[in-house]
Amino acid sequence: MAIIEMDDLIKNGLDKAVELMAVAAHNSFRFGNRNTMKMISVGNEELEQIAEFCFSLGDMSPLAARDGRFVMELIKEPAALLIFGDTRKSPYNFNCGACGYRTCAEMNKAEEVESLTANGPSCQFKNINLNIAANAAASLAWRLGLHCRVFSTLGFGARAMEIIKDVDLVISVSVSVAKVNPYFDRHKFWTQDYWDEIFKKEFPTFDRGFIGAVED
Amino acid sequence: MRQFEEDRKEAVEIAARLLLVSATTTPRVGGVGECTTHILEDECDIEDLCQQIEKMSEENTAWDFFKRDAVILRDADAVLIVTSLRSLTDPADINCNMCGKLTCEYLREEQKLPQEPGVAFTGPLCSFRANNISYAIDGIISMARNLGIDYGVYWSAGAAAMRMEIVPKATGFAIGVGISVTEKSPFRDIPLRYGEINDKTMNDRIIQRLWPQFRSIYS
Repeated sequence: MAIIEMDDLIKNGLDKAVELMAVAAHNSFRFGNRNTMKMISVGNEELEQIAEFCFSLGDMSPLAARDGRFVMELIKEPAALLIFGDTRKSPYNFNCGACGYRTCAEMNKAEEVESLTANGPSCQFKNINLNIAANAAASLAWRLGLHCRVFSTLGFGARAMEIIKDVDLVISVSVSVAKVNPYFDRHKFWTQDYWDEIFKKEFPTFDRGFIGAVED
Repeated sequence: MRQFEEDRKEAVEIAARLLLVSATTTPRVGGVGECTTHILEDECDIEDLCQQIEKMSEENTAWDFFKRDAVILRDADAVLIVTSLRSLTDPADINCNMCGKLTCEYLREEQKLPQEPGVAFTGPLCSFRANNISYAIDGIISMARNLGIDYGVYWSAGAAAMRMEIVPKATGFAIGVGISVTEKSPFRDIPLRYGEINDKTMNDRIIQRLWPQFRSIYS
C-alpha cells in the first residue's frame, strides 16, 4: 500500500473539507427559497493580497489591520478562505421595513450608495441568507474538527480587491489546519508595553482615582 | 399513549433548550453579543402569537402568507424567537455601508420608520448587527437537524412577537423558529391555499381521513 505523508494528507483533507463546506453553504436554509449567492474559495496568493490591503487600512480600521497582519501569519500553514457574496436588491417582496423603506420596490429603486466594503441600501433578508450560508459552512468546519473563524474584514478586502466580482454584500469563512488554533487569543501579535499603552489610551479612567480626575 | 404524550412534550422542552444553547454559542460579528432567544412552549402562548400573526396579515397586501404561517405555527410544539438587541439603536461603528448610509453617524441621524400598521421592523437597522441573527438561526437549524427535530423559520413570528412586546424592548429585528417533535412535520408539504384549507378547517370526518394523503400528494 502506498504511503501518503502527513503533510499531503492534511493538505488534501483541507481541500476536501472546503468543498464540503461549500456544499453545506450552498444547500443551507434561506428565506424566499432563492439561492442567488456567489461563492469562491481563495488560496494563499489571493489571501496575501487581501491581507496586504487590510493591513494597509492601518489606523483607519484597526480591526481590518489586525486581521491583515494575522492572515500573513495564518498562511504559513495550510489555510483556506471561503468568500460568500450576494447582490443587495430584494426579490422577496416582504415589505418588512428593516432596510428603512416601506416596500421592497422603494428600496430597489433607491439610489445605490457605493463604498469599498459594501453597496447599500441592502435587503436585510439577503444579508440574513448570506450569513446563514456562512454559518452553515462554519458549522460543518466545526464538526470536521477544523479551526474556523468568520471574517467580515477579509470579505470586505476581497470585494475591494475585486477578487469576488459583481456582488454588493460579502462575508468570509476562514479555516485552517494549523497545529495550534490560530484564530483566537492571538497574543503573540503585541508586546506587553504596546498592550499597556493602548489600554491606557482606550480606558484612561481605569487607573485614576475616580472618573474625570486628571493629575498634572 | 398518555405517557407517550407526556414524554413527547418533555422532549420538546429539553430540545428547545438545547437549540437555545446552539443559537447562543454561534459566532457574532466582532465577537460582541447582542442576540437573545426566547422559548414559547405553552400552547396558549403559541396561539396568542398565531392570532397576532393573523391580525398582521391584514395590514399589508404583501403579508398574505402570514395566514399560512399562523396555521403552520399552530401545529408547532414550541416557537423560539431570536432577537437582535443592538441593530436598532446601536450601530456597529465600522462604517460598512450595508445599510446604504455610508457611515454609522449618518445612520444614527436617519429617521426611522414609524411604528404603525404595515411596518414590521422600524428600519433602517444596522445590517451588520442584525446579521448576527442569521448565525443564531442557523445554530438552531444545525442543532435541530442533528437532533432529528422538524423546524421551520418564519419572520412573521418574529415580527408578531415584537408587536406583542413579549421580547426585550430594544429589539430591532426578530425571527421565529417553530419546532415540532411529531411523526409528520407540520412545516413541510404545504399545499396551496393552506391558510384556508388545513387540518383545522377540514373537520369533516371523511375528509379528515383523506386529507393527510391529499396533502402529501398535492404539495
